[in-house]
Amino acid sequence: MRKALLIALLLAPSAAIPVVMSLAADVTPASEMPATGSIGKTEGLAAWKRVEAVLTHPRCANCHVGPDNIPIWTVAGEKKSRPHGMNIHAGESRIGAETIACSTCHMTSTAPNKLAHAPPHVGLDWQLAPVDFVWYGKSGAEICAQLKDPQRNGGRDATGLVEHLRHDADVNGFIPWAWNPGGGRETPPGTFEDHVKDVAMWGAAGQPCPE
Amino acid sequence: MDHITNISRRAFLIGSAALAGGVAFGTWSFAQDAVTDVPNPLLPGLGPNAASFNPWVKISPDKITLITPHADVGQGVASAQAILIAEEMDLDLGQFDTEFGPPSAAYWNTGLVNEFVPFTETDRSPAAEAAREGARKYLKESGLQITGGSSTIPDSYEKLRMAGAVARETLKAAAAKRSGVTLAEIRTQSGQVILPDGTKIPYGQLAAEAAQLPPIQNVTLRAPSQWRLIGKPTERVDIRAKATGALKFGIDQTVDGMVFASVKLNPYKGGALTAFDAGKAGAMPGVKKVLQITNGVAVIASNSWYAMQAVDAVECTWAKGSYPAEQAEHWAAVEASFSPAKVDKEWRNEGDIAAALKDATVIDAEYRAPYVAHQPLEPLNAIAIVRDDAAEIWVGHQMPRIVQSMVATLTGLKPEQVVFHNQWSGGSFGHRLEFENVRTVIEIAKEMRGTPVKVVFSREEDFLQDFPRQIAMARNRGVVRDGKIIAADMHFASASAVRSQFGRLGMPSQGPDTQIPAGIWNMTYAIPNYRATTYAVEGVSPTSSWRSVGASTGGFFAECFIDELIHAAGLDPLKARIAMSTIDVYRKVLEAVGEMSDWKGPLGNGKGRGVAFMEAFGVPIAEVVEVSATDKGIKIDKIWIAAEVGKVVDPVNFENLVQGGVVWGLGHAINCELTYSQGAAQQTNYTSHEGMRMYQCPPIEVRGLENGADIHGIGEPPTAISPPALANAIFAATGRRLREMPFNKSIDFV
Amino acid sequence: MIELTVNGEKRQTDVSPDMPLLWVLRDEFGITGPKYGCGIAQCGACTVHINGVAVRSCQARIGELGGAKVLTIEGLGAQSLHAVQRAWIDHQVPQCGYCQTGQIMQAAALLDKTPKPTDEDIDMAMSGNLCRCGTYVRIRAAIHAAAEKL
Repeated sequence: MRKALLIALLLAPSAAIPVVMSLAADVTPASEMPATGSIGKTEGLAAWKRVEAVLTHPRCANCHVGPDNIPIWTVAGEKKSRPHGMNIHAGESRIGAETIACSTCHMTSTAPNKLAHAPPHVGLDWQLAPVDFVWYGKSGAEICAQLKDPQRNGGRDATGLVEHLRHDADVNGFIPWAWNPGGGRETPPGTFEDHVKDVAMWGAAGQPCPE
Repeated sequence: MDHITNISRRAFLIGSAALAGGVAFGTWSFAQDAVTDVPNPLLPGLGPNAASFNPWVKISPDKITLITPHADVGQGVASAQAILIAEEMDLDLGQFDTEFGPPSAAYWNTGLVNEFVPFTETDRSPAAEAAREGARKYLKESGLQITGGSSTIPDSYEKLRMAGAVARETLKAAAAKRSGVTLAEIRTQSGQVILPDGTKIPYGQLAAEAAQLPPIQNVTLRAPSQWRLIGKPTERVDIRAKATGALKFGIDQTVDGMVFASVKLNPYKGGALTAFDAGKAGAMPGVKKVLQITNGVAVIASNSWYAMQAVDAVECTWAKGSYPAEQAEHWAAVEASFSPAKVDKEWRNEGDIAAALKDATVIDAEYRAPYVAHQPLEPLNAIAIVRDDAAEIWVGHQMPRIVQSMVATLTGLKPEQVVFHNQWSGGSFGHRLEFENVRTVIEIAKEMRGTPVKVVFSREEDFLQDFPRQIAMARNRGVVRDGKIIAADMHFASASAVRSQFGRLGMPSQGPDTQIPAGIWNMTYAIPNYRATTYAVEGVSPTSSWRSVGASTGGFFAECFIDELIHAAGLDPLKARIAMSTIDVYRKVLEAVGEMSDWKGPLGNGKGRGVAFMEAFGVPIAEVVEVSATDKGIKIDKIWIAAEVGKVVDPVNFENLVQGGVVWGLGHAINCELTYSQGAAQQTNYTSHEGMRMYQCPPIEVRGLENGADIHGIGEPPTAISPPALANAIFAATGRRLREMPFNKSIDFV
Repeated sequence: MIELTVNGEKRQTDVSPDMPLLWVLRDEFGITGPKYGCGIAQCGACTVHINGVAVRSCQARIGELGGAKVLTIEGLGAQSLHAVQRAWIDHQVPQCGYCQTGQIMQAAALLDKTPKPTDEDIDMAMSGNLCRCGTYVRIRAAIHAAAEKL
């Protein structure tokens, strides 16, 4: 009983983040989005392909895992990905509240990630993405369908997704970190700015998904 | 001299047998046997009204101190040594302090004799006894004070009880003199002498008078039935301080005015530093000085972290070391060593191996064991102060006298001008038999004359400077016919850790390395045609003793191959081993694990059990491992392990040490290897050299057997027997033979 | 100047803000219960509690800890032994003991949240703490024993 209550309390702030973000007045203006209809479907799909390459990259997908709540490691110098070492289970709380908190090792810090093989940190409390946002092991088409579904993307429309990226950067969050992970870690293709543009183009094209 | 040594050696052996049998209790001429003419090193520092009757006991009016000269690196020997003394001194736990004591030849290791000679424990032939005599003489004359080879208990078992008895009898004599009653009327209990009228005199009050008497050397040891401490669970002297954080390890020590240093040495071990640029490092926070030392640089700073950060920023150019740069070349060197010219020794040749290998289907298999790092959790460290007329060093080490003489050599001082303070160590596994921390701290302290210097190696530097466990291979051949093993022809090629280690100390070893054939020279199965040959691999990485030394590779090579032959013969792995046992006491060890595990043959359903048995460090030891093959990999479900040690001094510490030895052996067999690229170790932290973690550790059931005549230590044997037991279990569960460590190269683990 | 509370006492330091809490505790404050083992949160020997959460102190930059409440092994049993420490002694868990202060701090944090952990809970919570001596069997037993007493 006590355990269930604790998880709910701990989960609440992270679940609230998307809501707070999409309501926030000071996020990047919608003008970053190209005008609706200015991007054709072909161009939009091409933009999606680039987005997909980012979202399926281990640096991004490894913490967007399913209900087993086990993050994935892609360790610098190793050939294949594997479950997070040390028998880590982030739990239903997705922050390790049940047994060992992510924050036991992953600090909340805006300092650069310098040390190889040290647990990375960002300006937000370390956590798995909500379980509805699972990307790991999914096809591009599946992720695309999921990402444009407000039921499964934190209640965001196309503009909201771009705002989400900008807000995350403002708080030194997980998304820009992917392109500056430190410690010799591999990065997804392109840059954070490229990614924002691609998400915006895809959105302006009406969020087309591969067949 | 020889004559006296011989007599006393014989008395020692007879005494052992009698004691273990619990029949007779001889009188001991203590001083002659153990200390000879080496003066008691405790006497010079003795305070007023204090007494020391031998190198292990010190009594002052307010305190009783027991000296436990074997280094405690976690194996609990401070307690074990103290218990042996306290038993005979009639001291209760809590009535004494312990100290590691000074370096002294008085603490020469009598227990290593058997490790120096290639004869099985049970071999009492004239040749075996003569070899033991020679080893004993060597150890005694060289005053080799060393902790290692699971020898603390064999060394201490009788010697320290005698030391306690001498103290007790001398205190009684002092009380007799004071009170005028006869010795026979006096007894002792709980740190007090008790006179016939019931008067109780605490030992401390008798110290001044006892110091005036010559220590009573002819003492009678207690019968085991009278023991209060030995064989019973006791609270280790260090356990409380280790649970509260109060215990100071070497790395926790401070000396007033101390500065902090860290080092960066050539990762291509042994190579020189050719150039360095400390421009960036010198300007970093807290940095006081950047120094060039042998093979590298040191930074001195106002705390350890500043020193580590700055030394990491020093840009160095290195010369090459003396071994191949790439790992593949190391393996090639091992492979090339299986040649008649490289034979280190043919240890055994029984029956007609050549004929046996001719006329049947020969089973052959090649096995590999990689370099492995030691990496105890407390990294290398030391504190030293060098003055013009003296030096002082604080470091946890297993060879105190060699530390002392090394410091003397490096500083130009005499050994007696060097004060060595041994420290509690955060693990060793062989690492604290090396000297990189000693050498570097002295080189730095020489440059900082009069200022105490603490050096702490970063984990990465510690990995890079680690002299790993030997790399080794086996090429074994065997024949089975009619449900029997007819022949086994075992060939091991290995780097010689012992030669490498003692070579670095300028003590070249002579003759073949007795560690390389561990598991085959002392194999005790009845196999009619049997040969054991070893080859010494030269020109590879420097190596060092790693928990269980040769047995850590040899046990795997020998016991997995025997398992292959047993399987080919269609036999049950446990029953076949029991049937082939030639020594009763050893067979009982196998029977014990059979009973403990309720062994009934194959399990099915993706589960498998493996068994392995060997003699390691004189200890016959058997282990059964049960595994499941799951969709995520192999899961270890349960382990049963039994060992024959003559006498278990403390059952709780014994169980802990055996469980730890299993975890050490399995963890490294599953996921650790040290490989070289461009001359440097590629593994520099636990990320890539992990060992076992909690979730991988199954229940481990332990039994200590006491059927044998000889007393043995248990630090190392469980490590050696665990990898083959696991590999054999994996075969039983999956049908796959794992012939190379680490096993996770071939199969996934949960 | 950074101010924080360690084991109930106010402490100040003016070291580089990048310096990990571990080394501030050890070398600046002389609190040596937390140990240096790996420097990259692989071993857990440096575990302390920061504001009630178990943290690898080698990863916590001192510059970000202004006002924090830090509890080390020295503070855990300062009044009387914590149930976990008591169980560690009863079960004679430590061998070398170097990792054990971190193990104890991690176990105490687990029991704060999960007073009656299963073996599975223990295996999840404790697998970030390496014990090179291999005392895992006893750690597991001691945590269960401590849970019984709490």
